[in-house]
Amino acid sequence: MSILSARLALGWMIGGEWRAHPARLALTAIAIAIGVALGFAVHLVNGSALSSFEGALRTVKGSADLQVNATSPLGFDEALYPRVATAAGVADASPVVILRATIGRRPVTLLGLDVIRAAQVTPSLVGVAPAGIDRRGDAAFDDAALYLSAAAMRNVNARPGAMLVVTANGRTATMRVAGRLPGVAEGEAIGVIDIAAAQWRFDRLGRLDRIDVKQQDGAAPPRLATILPRDATIGSDASDATRSDALSRAYRVNLDMLALVALLTGGFLVFSAQSLSVARRLRAFALVRTLGLPRNGIVATVALEGLAIGVIGATLGLLLGYALAYAALARFGADLGAGYFADGRVRLTFAPAAAIGFFALGLLAAVAGSVLPARIAARAPPAAALRNAGDVIDPRTPMPVRPAAILMLLGGGAALLPAIGGLPLFGFSSMALILAGGIAGMPWLARTLLAPLSRGAGRSVPVDLAIRHLHGAPAQAATALCGIVASTALMIAMAVMVTSFRGAVDEWLGQVLSDDLYLRVEGGAGLDPAAQARLRTVPGITAIAYSRQIPLTLAPDRPPVSLIARPVVTDGPDPSLVLLESGRARPAGTAPIWISEPAARLYGWTVGDSVTLPIAGRYVVAGIWRDYARQQGAIIVRDTDYTRATGDRTRTEAAITLARGADPRTVERALTAAAPPALAGLVAIARPATLRRYALELFDRSFAVTYLLEGVAILVGLAGVAATMSAQTIARTREFGMLRHIGVAKRQIVTMLATEGALLGLVGGIAGITLGGVMAQVLVHVINPQSFNWTMATRIPWGSVGEVALALIVAAAGTAVLAGRRAIAADAVRMVREDW
Amino acid sequence: MRPVLTFAALALTAATPAATGYPVVRPGASFTFPREHGAHPAFRTEWWYVTGLLKTQDGRDLGFQITFFRTTPGTDAANPSRFAPKQILFAHAALSDPKLGHLLHGERAARAGFGLAQARIGDTDVTLKDWHIRRRPDGRFTTTVTTGDFALTLTLTPRQPPLLQGKAGYSQKGPRPEQASYYYSIPHLAVAGQLVRHGAPQRVTGQAWLDREWSSDYLGGGAVGWDWTGLNLDDGGALMAFRIRGREGKPLWAGGSLRRADGRVVRFAPADVRFDPLRQWRSPRTGALYPVTQRLTVRLPEGVRRFRLDPLFADQELDARRSGMPVYWEGAVRTAGGSGYLELTGYADPLQM
Amino acid sequence: MQDRALLRVTALEKSVPGGRQLFRGLDLTARAGQLIAIVGESGVGKSTLLNILAGLDAPDAGHVAIEDTILDTLDEAALTRLRATRIGFVFQAFHVLPYLTLRQNVALPLALVSNDRRAIADQAQAMLARVGLGTRGDGYARDLSGGELQRVAIARALVHRPALILADEPTGNLDPDTAAKILTLFSDAVREQGVAAIIVTHSAAAAAIADDVLTLTASGLERAR
Repeated sequence: MSILSARLALGWMIGGEWRAHPARLALTAIAIAIGVALGFAVHLVNGSALSSFEGALRTVKGSADLQVNATSPLGFDEALYPRVATAAGVADASPVVILRATIGRRPVTLLGLDVIRAAQVTPSLVGVAPAGIDRRGDAAFDDAALYLSAAAMRNVNARPGAMLVVTANGRTATMRVAGRLPGVAEGEAIGVIDIAAAQWRFDRLGRLDRIDVKQQDGAAPPRLATILPRDATIGSDASDATRSDALSRAYRVNLDMLALVALLTGGFLVFSAQSLSVARRLRAFALVRTLGLPRNGIVATVALEGLAIGVIGATLGLLLGYALAYAALARFGADLGAGYFADGRVRLTFAPAAAIGFFALGLLAAVAGSVLPARIAARAPPAAALRNAGDVIDPRTPMPVRPAAILMLLGGGAALLPAIGGLPLFGFSSMALILAGGIAGMPWLARTLLAPLSRGAGRSVPVDLAIRHLHGAPAQAATALCGIVASTALMIAMAVMVTSFRGAVDEWLGQVLSDDLYLRVEGGAGLDPAAQARLRTVPGITAIAYSRQIPLTLAPDRPPVSLIARPVVTDGPDPSLVLLESGRARPAGTAPIWISEPAARLYGWTVGDSVTLPIAGRYVVAGIWRDYARQQGAIIVRDTDYTRATGDRTRTEAAITLARGADPRTVERALTAAAPPALAGLVAIARPATLRRYALELFDRSFAVTYLLEGVAILVGLAGVAATMSAQTIARTREFGMLRHIGVAKRQIVTMLATEGALLGLVGGIAGITLGGVMAQVLVHVINPQSFNWTMATRIPWGSVGEVALALIVAAAGTAVLAGRRAIAADAVRMVREDW
Repeated sequence: MRPVLTFAALALTAATPAATGYPVVRPGASFTFPREHGAHPAFRTEWWYVTGLLKTQDGRDLGFQITFFRTTPGTDAANPSRFAPKQILFAHAALSDPKLGHLLHGERAARAGFGLAQARIGDTDVTLKDWHIRRRPDGRFTTTVTTGDFALTLTLTPRQPPLLQGKAGYSQKGPRPEQASYYYSIPHLAVAGQLVRHGAPQRVTGQAWLDREWSSDYLGGGAVGWDWTGLNLDDGGALMAFRIRGREGKPLWAGGSLRRADGRVVRFAPADVRFDPLRQWRSPRTGALYPVTQRLTVRLPEGVRRFRLDPLFADQELDARRSGMPVYWEGAVRTAGGSGYLELTGYADPLQM
Repeated sequence: MQDRALLRVTALEKSVPGGRQLFRGLDLTARAGQLIAIVGESGVGKSTLLNILAGLDAPDAGHVAIEDTILDTLDEAALTRLRATRIGFVFQAFHVLPYLTLRQNVALPLALVSNDRRAIADQAQAMLARVGLGTRGDGYARDLSGGELQRVAIARALVHRPALILADEPTGNLDPDTAAKILTLFSDAVREQGVAAIIVTHSAAAAAIADDVLTLTASGLERAR
């Protein structure tokens, strides 16, 4: 007879189980729901952020077919414009000056455009004057006319006709709000002025930052790249998307992985719960098998239960995930506090494909978690199962260790493989394999750990009973523990990684912040040589080292690296440059550059390599330095070489050494006073301690969500322990009745259960922490370098490790006791007679 | 709300009075050639306006219009940027093919500079990227325009001297003397060249009319548009007539001239010119009602003479609003004993001048 | 009808996994309406014999045939089908599922092969009435006494009209009075329905209602009287 013909009987059995234990099933469904919710929420938030980010990029770009971009904010010579405009395949070209402006302290991206060209190439960036107010024909070319996007208009609280003071590039100009930019997407703070006014008023004469290109016949101009100078590159939608994706991809993938961990833990919880449910029902299953239910009928029964749990849990999870994502976006912003998507508001975009994906994952976790124990139950001989109360305990059965060892070895091997497309996919597989191996090895580990205890004698009866029960049935213990081991391991791994990272950053900050005061000019402005000289004369200063930091695009599909021009001590070690590697020899006629570790890994450069930069000159890598601040890489060039290559004498930052006994506050005030009036309010001065605190705050904020996800995973794991402990305890009611009959006191049974719980927690803790430690090594030395391109040493957060272990022991013991009290509340005679 | 970039509106619409430092057009200026063929950048608005009829090798008649405009926006002259909008250039080209029943047209616009767009002083030499009109040392004009639908490369050979309109080139446009332009025409230009359509070049010949006008204050208050015609008469004569319309079609001003085949010129006072609509046509695109067939009446010393102006076809409306240009009707017309162009502006929207 | 052999066992042999032989050369025949009791000391292999008869365990040698079907020729699926249709079970521990109604418990063998709710419910109700629990069909196991639970189990064993009923100490958990009533009910029902029944028991009372009482020893079955 097939399962189909038995479906009525199956229905009775499933329905009966659900009526009998609704709370247990609800709990497993909730575990799945939490996993799905977290995964879906993180995915939604990331997806929304990225699409908003790309939308913002497209708006600023104004939907040009492609554009010629400057590789740095220094721009390129405007003489390139006619050459691009007349290049073969170019239908039209629109020159653009881009300024990071502030209007009343609010940041606005100011675009200088030729309205005639923009109308052909990027019509969404063309301003609209309100009817009725200023129909003067010259408004389009008026050098004081400013068109603002809705967001910019709101930010600066202006309306058409208002006069605004605009600051950019260290210059200020008064402009009249001439109209709006209805083509700009909501949330983007953009202003448009005439290109000639932009060049003149904000000191960018002769320079352009971008040329938007309209293609002829929809094909990319064939030889455009060949006419470009070094300081310009070609960008398109595709390269922009790649670049914005690259900016945060590693971070997003890591978050997605964490969310999946929560789902995985939920799957383990289902496995635990269903294992116990199956164990409890072994005799029922044996009976119906005796009565004539085929073997796969049992698997079908449990799988159907899992399916129902999965459907309910995953549906709940999707709803919850959407709500979570909404709340998170409103509360923390699109990058959940990590600072990757700094500008613009983010709208939640619903992702049907992702919803289906996470629903399926939730379903899979629930069904897989159910089918595995059911298959084991179905294999049990029905006659024996009917006679014995389920779990056939034989303390002599050896626990297999080989599968665990093989999985661990595979995991170790995967950790040695390189990243795929900048993502540490093998690293994550390695972690998954190690985790699977650890869980497969749990029975063996429990047996091994408890073996010395079980040989001992002369303990109190309850403790001895507890140890012998666990030692005899380690598989049962492992079942109860797999969820908690998985979540503990992952949490410990994350904690070790974050601690290592934070410790490395802290130490590094201490090394690089070796000066007394740091000065920075905000808002894209800078100090010209005269201002630099004036600041140098401020009393109380022994030395002041000026530097300039600009983003430099080395490849169109990669985010720009930071080019840092500053004085470098070359005749000895430079204290603010923590070199990992350095070289001596350098060919004549070349200038030295020192590249950060991420730059070295991203661009594959090593010490001694000749490097072509989009600024004039020939450069050779003289050293690789440690940098945790700029994930996209940084290059230090001597300020003298930089000025020679670019002619740019502006400096934006300064490191100041105070004279002995000088009061930092007094010097701060004097520096502020000596700054040029145009930079009033734009000069920020900070002490190393402040900078360090700020940096660590940023760090903690970017990992806040990581902590949150970990916490949830642990909670799900603990809930699993509670559920399985209580289920196991209740399943042993008859055993307790028998013990009561032979004269074991209630109190002793509770002690026994508490001991068992604590031992379980201990074993789980040891296993989880050990596994976590191993997985942390993969995170620190494989996944982190492959995702973020920096390396660090391992630091172990002993405090957190201890707390986790303690929490586990207490939680396991506590739930065991709670469940035990309920189990022994009934009278002993009834307990023995209890049939099921 | 309309895109700000109505640079045509900006050029043709001179809301700015002469007070902003543009030179005022006054009578009595002396014209020197070839200097006047070149640009006069101090003035706010200027154009090189070629209209004419072409005959293809297979004997078909086509009308064409090629216009280069120049305007000087009132911006800060001190701006040292090479992008400073000291001169804005734009151009229009349209082809009237009766077989098609509507105009084919294209346009170019740019601020002068970077060798991409310029209008030279001293002789005709206007470039807008790949479009240009130039006067060669031998006195012939060449012009090239390329649109999505057609390309024209023409040589225009003058066969008559320039005809100074108004009082020795001072052409009053309204009741006040400063409402005026400097204006001369070269009628009866012999046309030869090449027309490319659908990638196939063909030789064309024909006859054209060049209008040259520059001004700082073209239309007076209350004016909404004008009717203009320039006719090459078969006997070698050239007739130009215009009227400026106020609201409700009331004529505010009129003028024109007839140069007879022997070179004598008759100038028309406002009362000497009448336009009477004979047939109207409503544009399906803009809803504007154009008097596409008109009777032009001019008073000559020998008596009143009437010309019935019949369009090559009715729909010669030029709707370039997408490019920020105003809507107007610019069409090839025939008349008994001649042919030329009729221009009707301010019918769709009042031309804000 | 009366002389038709519903169960035929020939030359059965079985040892426990440790190597000790339980029995060998065991022959047994049961006819319709015949009730055979098997007695013997503990550990002699009575339950193992029952498991072999049910196809839940395999003999080392010999054959079991139920209604001319030889069990050792059947695969797992066929054995399962055979149990569901031709064999009924009564256990010492009743094994009445606590989360199903009594009617569902009785109907379980029918529900394994059919989905006709109405027919199943009618048959189960009739059988419940036959064991004297006709009004309790919607109740649950926890409402019943041990004797009542075993009545439910007997109803479940007979509801699908099997050829053979196997009972393992059916009165082991019952007091003597209740046990007597249950045994009477059981033997009446067996004779009424014309099934063959094998009872494994220690109880003299149980043996007393049997047509034949056989003692299981290592050399096979011996007639006790």
